[in-house]
Amino acid sequence: MGETILKVKDLRVNFRAWAGTVQAVRGVNFELKKGETLAIVGESGSGKSVTTKAILGILPSNARITSGEILYDGKDLTKLKEKDFYSIRGKHISLVFQDPLSALNPIQKVGKQICEALRKNEHMTAAEAKKRAVALMEDVGIPEPETKFSQYPFQFSGGMRQRIVIAIALALNPKILICDEPTTALDVTIQSRILDKIKDLKEEHDLSVIFITHDLGVVATVADRVCVMYAGKIVEYGTVDDIFYEPAHPYTWALLSSMPDLDTREKLFSIPGAPPNMMYPPKGDAFAPRNRYAMEIDFEQEPPFFKVSDTHYAATWLLHPKAPKVELPEVLRHRIQRMKEEREGA
Amino acid sequence: MAKYILKRIAGIFIVLFVVMTAAFFMMRLMPGGILDGVEENLSADMRDLIYAKYDMDKPIWEQYLLFLKGIVTEWDWGVSLKLYVNVSVWDILAERIPITLYLGFLSLLISVPIGIAFGTLAALKKNGIVDHAVSFLVVLFISIPSFVMATGLQYFVAYKWGWFPLIYDDSLPRITTTFLPVLALSFTPIATITRYLRAELSESLNSDYMLLARTKGLTRVQATLRHALRNSLVPVVNVIVPAFISIMGGSLVVESIFGIPGLGGITVRSINVADYSVTLASLIYYTLISLAAILLVDISYGLIDPRIRMGGRKDA
Ligand SMILES: Nc1ncnc2c1ncn2[C@@H]1O[C@H](COP(=O)(O)OP(=O)(O)OP(=O)(O)O)[C@@H](O)[C@H]1O
Ligand SMILES: [Mg+2]
Repeated sequence: MGETILKVKDLRVNFRAWAGTVQAVRGVNFELKKGETLAIVGESGSGKSVTTKAILGILPSNARITSGEILYDGKDLTKLKEKDFYSIRGKHISLVFQDPLSALNPIQKVGKQICEALRKNEHMTAAEAKKRAVALMEDVGIPEPETKFSQYPFQFSGGMRQRIVIAIALALNPKILICDEPTTALDVTIQSRILDKIKDLKEEHDLSVIFITHDLGVVATVADRVCVMYAGKIVEYGTVDDIFYEPAHPYTWALLSSMPDLDTREKLFSIPGAPPNMMYPPKGDAFAPRNRYAMEIDFEQEPPFFKVSDTHYAATWLLHPKAPKVELPEVLRHRIQRMKEEREGA
Repeated sequence: MAKYILKRIAGIFIVLFVVMTAAFFMMRLMPGGILDGVEENLSADMRDLIYAKYDMDKPIWEQYLLFLKGIVTEWDWGVSLKLYVNVSVWDILAERIPITLYLGFLSLLISVPIGIAFGTLAALKKNGIVDHAVSFLVVLFISIPSFVMATGLQYFVAYKWGWFPLIYDDSLPRITTTFLPVLALSFTPIATITRYLRAELSESLNSDYMLLARTKGLTRVQATLRHALRNSLVPVVNVIVPAFISIMGGSLVVESIFGIPGLGGITVRSINVADYSVTLASLIYYTLISLAAILLVDISYGLIDPRIRMGGRKDA
């Protein structure tokens, strides 16, 4: 770990929509280190999927990358043409989609869908591709892969379909696997099995993973580092411990407080208000209107990143030396306390 | 599958029977009759003689039973009463059906690929100038009925420019002499298929599986051909039946315009002169061919779409 494999610099993506321009991503910066799992968390609409689509060059036609760089392997992906991406997608960077139910072609056998990439990109024969596909299906934990090979997606359960999608993503031995909420559409038990599988596969295939989710509980089980995203920007990033034990941004606090806790059955905290309309992003800190610790300056000026530790940065005026000292919310303090005890106990 | 098909065929027979029965009684209960226009010149004896010859002196239900008996026992569909007096209806139909089918299938054969090509083009260039042009033509062609097209083509292409014969001419190659009527019949189905495929394809181009195909490393062309286009062609089978039926409907009038000795022309004429037996038989023929087309499509749809073939749900 340590070497940077993918670097996103000041990425901005706009959508031309019927009613105006949507600023979906407004200056995102992050680095993915080799061999790590980086989680990106944030509410629905914060621009997570748009960021991943920008990396793979599959933004819809009404989207524009207005500035920024995505550096991979000495290339700036934002400058590539569609045909330059053919050798990158699948082979270097792969994507597992949010919704396994609609990601597979409904009228094509799953085996064929796995083989397709192998046949087209690696020029394997049908028999070689099939052998590899069956091995992949076995890898991702599909029972009786030989039989399942010639079945159609509708004959699979949601969890099994997601495994197929993962097998497709792994088919060409990518270096980077991007998982865009791979388990959101699945129920909890299936979810944890898929997560375990992704962890195993990461080790076996020596992958670097970007894991997108809005569920902090999932983050804790899979990630090494975390970026917290809000309204098209990253507002805090750090190691999992940094984010869980010493969260610094009020939005992260709110997210952590709203995380369901099965042990205590506390009443869930929900973040008041709604994310801003990205057609008219607010001045200052976008979270300010929903933030009960907001100060005057939050409505005026955007906060820069303040360093919390070598690994941990947060963009909130609360970290400014002149800001008043603010205590963590009560619920959260207790939670963190408990989590720490659990960790020491474990 | 075999059981399903048998069930459907039985259904077709039931529908045919109902249509036949309803038509038989309706036609005979309507005012007028086979002697319209000549009645005054006939003596009462003559009239009774003619009625007796065609069983028309009997009550309607008895006429109906005799008619049924004829079909079942001797495949006798009666004789023409006015157009070709005493010629067997079956022979009249058998002689005319081939050219009508020829028109219909040729028109379909032209419409399907052209419709697919235009629909694909419009979807790929959605909201571009090509798409707008295609969409404009689609609206135009869907709203102009085929007999108007036929009249227009006949006037300009045949009469003014003299490129094609004005009316059907047996001595010319069939393809030349039926070119204009087939063309006239094809505009609407082309427009229907174009419009449908454009909608289906633009949806599949934006689908998640299309995105997955691209993230696999397929080129845009590969992904479009192998996933989006293939998937959107399946439901197009659905519009082929309505297209075929509308062609058949169009040919009723278009055949008359171009004087083509097909079923369409004679059906229209038989209705005009109250030639009951010819009208009835052609009505049954049209019903049969429509139902058969629907059945054929349902079967092929099942064969193409694995979700239906294997009893899965369509929404899966
Ligand atoms: N095709 C599009 N046209 C216009 N706006 C879009 C389009 N796709 C996304 N957006 C906008 O971009 C913003 C970010 O969307 P994105 O899909 O990245 O959210 P997300 O963080 O992935 O949310 P979720 O957790 O629901 O998947 C949203 O405000 C959305 O309205
Ligand atoms: Mg998303």
